[in-house]
Amino acid sequence: MNAKRILSKIVGLTQTAIGGIIMIFAFFVFYNIFNMQTVFGFTAESIGLYLWAFIIFGLLSVISGLFLFYEQ
Amino acid sequence: MAEPQLKRELGLIRVTMLGIGGTICASSFVIIGYAAGLVGYAIIPVVIICGVISLLTMLSYAELGTAIPLAGGEYTWAKVAYGGFIGFLTGWFEWLSNMFYAAISAIGFAYVISYIFPQINIPLAAVIVVFIFALVNLRGAKQTGTAQTVITTIFLIILVIFVLGGWSQAQTSQPAPATGQIGLIGIFVAISYLFELYLGGEAIAAAQAETKNPGRNIPLAIVLTSVITILVYATVVFVAVGIVPPEILSQQPSPIAFAAEQAMGPAVGILVTIGLAIAGLATTNEAIMAQSRVLYAMSRDGYLPKKLCLLDKRFCTPYVAIIVGSIFTAIFAATGLVNFVVYAVNLGFIIGFSIVNLSLIKLRKIAPHLKRPFRVPLYPLTPIAGLVTCVFLALFIEPTVLVLGFELCIVALLAYYVRMVGYNRFRIAFGGISLGLGSLVAFVAYLLGTNSIVLQGVAPAVSTLVFYVLLFISIVQILAGILNLSASER
Repeated sequence: MNAKRILSKIVGLTQTAIGGIIMIFAFFVFYNIFNMQTVFGFTAESIGLYLWAFIIFGLLSVISGLFLFYEQ
Repeated sequence: MAEPQLKRELGLIRVTMLGIGGTICASSFVIIGYAAGLVGYAIIPVVIICGVISLLTMLSYAELGTAIPLAGGEYTWAKVAYGGFIGFLTGWFEWLSNMFYAAISAIGFAYVISYIFPQINIPLAAVIVVFIFALVNLRGAKQTGTAQTVITTIFLIILVIFVLGGWSQAQTSQPAPATGQIGLIGIFVAISYLFELYLGGEAIAAAQAETKNPGRNIPLAIVLTSVITILVYATVVFVAVGIVPPEILSQQPSPIAFAAEQAMGPAVGILVTIGLAIAGLATTNEAIMAQSRVLYAMSRDGYLPKKLCLLDKRFCTPYVAIIVGSIFTAIFAATGLVNFVVYAVNLGFIIGFSIVNLSLIKLRKIAPHLKRPFRVPLYPLTPIAGLVTCVFLALFIEPTVLVLGFELCIVALLAYYVRMVGYNRFRIAFGGISLGLGSLVAFVAYLLGTNSIVLQGVAPAVSTLVFYVLLFISIVQILAGILNLSASER
């Protein structure tokens, strides 16, 4: 396994993890688990917008990361 | 057996009513109140300037609508002028904007009705409205045009009652003294904010395939819609700020109904509320029709699944496009994400208006012999002025809106590649997407690092942590983008 392949695996795994964490974070914020809305200063009115933004961002990151991780 | 086609059955009056009904909506009279708070009595010239700016682009709509009389409006023209991704992107934003516009109109209707029936379930009422008008649209353009004509006529009559009843009081009342300096920036912010006021008239262009004698009726209907809506808004605002000072008007959830109640009693206040509710219905109807025609056209051209351009054999309406679009509209109406929806509407239309002006300029160059029953006066000054004002207005949009627009572009890019390019080139798309996301996150981190944006109510330590997390994410995203792009080149 060459250096570039190893780098792709590491970056892919990191990107997938980031995407997953962001999506979980979105739900934590939306349902105000651990009082996330107050900690990060999200206003109740904008929660829906953040939910959408985080889920789209997270989903794209997971797909992109998996492409790298399972590189042929 | 011949394939069913869209029928040309909308005359000048019906197509004009489609434009007016689409433009004058319930939310317009709510945002006017807020803008009055921003600029005081200058709201009257601001409303007129907004109308003139909109008219610049509407003239481009008139020329392109008559030169290329096919369903799809902006999307079709951008595809002819630029093709490829720009055409797809235009259609994508046009569809999203109209879908969100339908959702916000339905939500607006529900909120207005809650003034009379406070116990009403707002999301449920909004969803019911969407489904009712989806059914109206399924019955055909003639039924749609008839419904629009009736609804718009009733609403205009109610506005005339308000203007006539409040005129004398507006004439005799003393203007309240100005409370502060407005300045040019304040005026520009108000104009940018009120951009939404004149949206909806472009439904005329979207319905051109169903318009009788489009060479005459499309430009006439577009110009008539612009002139009538400028007159209606300017007169209503003049009377409203004449009855109630702008500062007080801006604090009312339904400013025009409040002004009517102050001038003519609670009965007229309720009548105006009913009028606003009817306007909400009209815009929902118009936007559902417009979004379905864009889906139909994109499907017809192979950008989206072919099933979306199936026409009903009896009513000749794109029933799959209407049903699919209405389901999405109902979902967004049910969420009640008002800000998200409004942001998407504003940005989508600014992008759409800009591309329409660019398409007109490009088509004048690449297709000079195209038959144009109507030509924009003072070319190229008019489309350039329309383009410049759109770009200028975008400068005054909130940064969160621009971030949202960037994300919608990414989704569009993804959808385009999925449909047009094929699985084997997915990685190129995702490489680009990762690079884009990385750049976006880096930009947000930069804004946070330079205190251009502040996390309100957040401890400084958390803010610093967020900055470093964003920095890390941006590096990973950019790296992933480069790796995906370089791998796919092998």
